[in-house]
Amino acid sequence: MLHDILWRSNLHLAQSCLAHPFVQALGDGTLKADLFRAFVAQDAFFLRAFLKAYALALARSDETESITVFYELIGGVLEELKLHRTYAAELGIDLGSVVPNAACRAYTDFLLRTAWHTSLGETVAAMTPCMRLYAYLGGELVLKCSQQHPYRRWIETYSGEEFERLAGRLEALLDRVGADTREVRDSYRYALQCELDFFSGALCP
Amino acid sequence: MAAHDHALVRNAGPRWDEATRSPFLDALAAGSLAEDAFRRWLAQDYLFAKDLIAFQAVLLAKAPRDCHNLLVGGLTALDKEMAWFESHAVRLQVNLDIAPHSTCRRYTDFLMRCAYTQPSPVLLGVLFGVEASYLAAWSALLPSGPYAEFIERWSSAEFAKYVAALGELANRHPHEAAQEHFNEVLAHEREFWKMSWEG
Repeated sequence: MLHDILWRSNLHLAQSCLAHPFVQALGDGTLKADLFRAFVAQDAFFLRAFLKAYALALARSDETESITVFYELIGGVLEELKLHRTYAAELGIDLGSVVPNAACRAYTDFLLRTAWHTSLGETVAAMTPCMRLYAYLGGELVLKCSQQHPYRRWIETYSGEEFERLAGRLEALLDRVGADTREVRDSYRYALQCELDFFSGALCP
Repeated sequence: MAAHDHALVRNAGPRWDEATRSPFLDALAAGSLAEDAFRRWLAQDYLFAKDLIAFQAVLLAKAPRDCHNLLVGGLTALDKEMAWFESHAVRLQVNLDIAPHSTCRRYTDFLMRCAYTQPSPVLLGVLFGVEASYLAAWSALLPSGPYAEFIERWSSAEFAKYVAALGELANRHPHEAAQEHFNEVLAHEREFWKMSWEG
C-alpha cells in the first residue's frame, strides 16, 4: 500500500519529530506554558491553511466517495480548531492576530501551493503526514501520560480513536488517488520535513 | 523611473540592500567564486525560473487588459532565459534535474501561494520585487571576469526597461497589501543569495 511505503520510507523523520526537544518536553509535561501557548497559536494558523487545502482537494474530487471523506476530514479539523479555541480562551491567545513564524509560513505556503497548483494525489500526499504523524506522536506520548499531566487533553486528542480513524481514512484515500511517483514521494517527505521544522520553530517563538 | 526611486523600494527600507548585496555576487564579479557555488546557484536559479513562469502565467490570467502586453513579453523573455540556462548547464555539466534547495522551495511556494490567493495588483508588486531586486543586484557589478556574460544579461538596458515598465504597472494598480508582499519577496531574495553562497 502506498501510504505504508511512504510512512516507512520516511519513518526516520517521524522518529526525529518524536525525539525533538519540543515534543519530548510536551510529552513529559515540562514544556513551558509560554512555548505551548505560542505553539497553539502557530498550529491554529496552520490548521486554517490545512482546512483550505482539504476544501480545495474536495473541489477537485470527482468521486462522491472522495468528496465524502474530505467532508469528514474538514469536520475533523474544525473539531481540532475547537480544542485550539478552548486553549486560546484559557491561555489568553488572540487567534485572530497570529503572525506565522518562518517554519509555519513555509509549511502553509507549501500546502496551499500544492493544493492550488498540483494534482489531487500530490495534495493528499502533502496532507497525510500531518495526520499520521500526530496520531503516531499521540500514541507514543499517551503511554507515559498521567492523570495530572498538564497537556493531557492535547495528548488525548491525538491518541484518540477518532483521530486515528480520520488518519486512516486519509491514508486509504491516498492509496486510491495517489500513484507512486517522484512528485508524490517528494510531497510526502517534504511535508514531514516541514513538521520537524515546525517543532524547531516552536522552540524559539 | 529608476527602480530605486519606486515607492515600494523606498518603503522597504534596509531590506532592499539586504536583498541586493551578497558575498556571492562580490566573489562572482571578482572572479574568485568557487565553481561549486556557481554551479549550485545556476541549478537553483533555473528551478526558480521554472516556477516563475507558472507564477507569471497565473498573474497574466488574472491581470487587467493594460498589463497583458508587458506580461506576455515577460513570459517570452523568461522562456528564452530557460533555454539559455539549459545551454549553459550542458556546457558546464550541471544537472538541472534535481530537487530544489529548501530555500528555493520556500521562495517559489510563497510565489505560487500568492499567485492563487492574492489579487493581481499585489502580484504585480511581487513580480516587480523579484525583477527589480535582481536588476539592482547584478547592475552593481562590473561586467568582467569569467561570468561577465551573466552580469551583462541582468544589467542590460533592455532588462532595466522591462523592470521600469513593471514598476509603472504596479503604480497604476496599487493595493494596500502590495508593500507587505514586496517586503516578503526581498526577504526571500536575501535568503536565496545566502543559500547560493553558503550552500
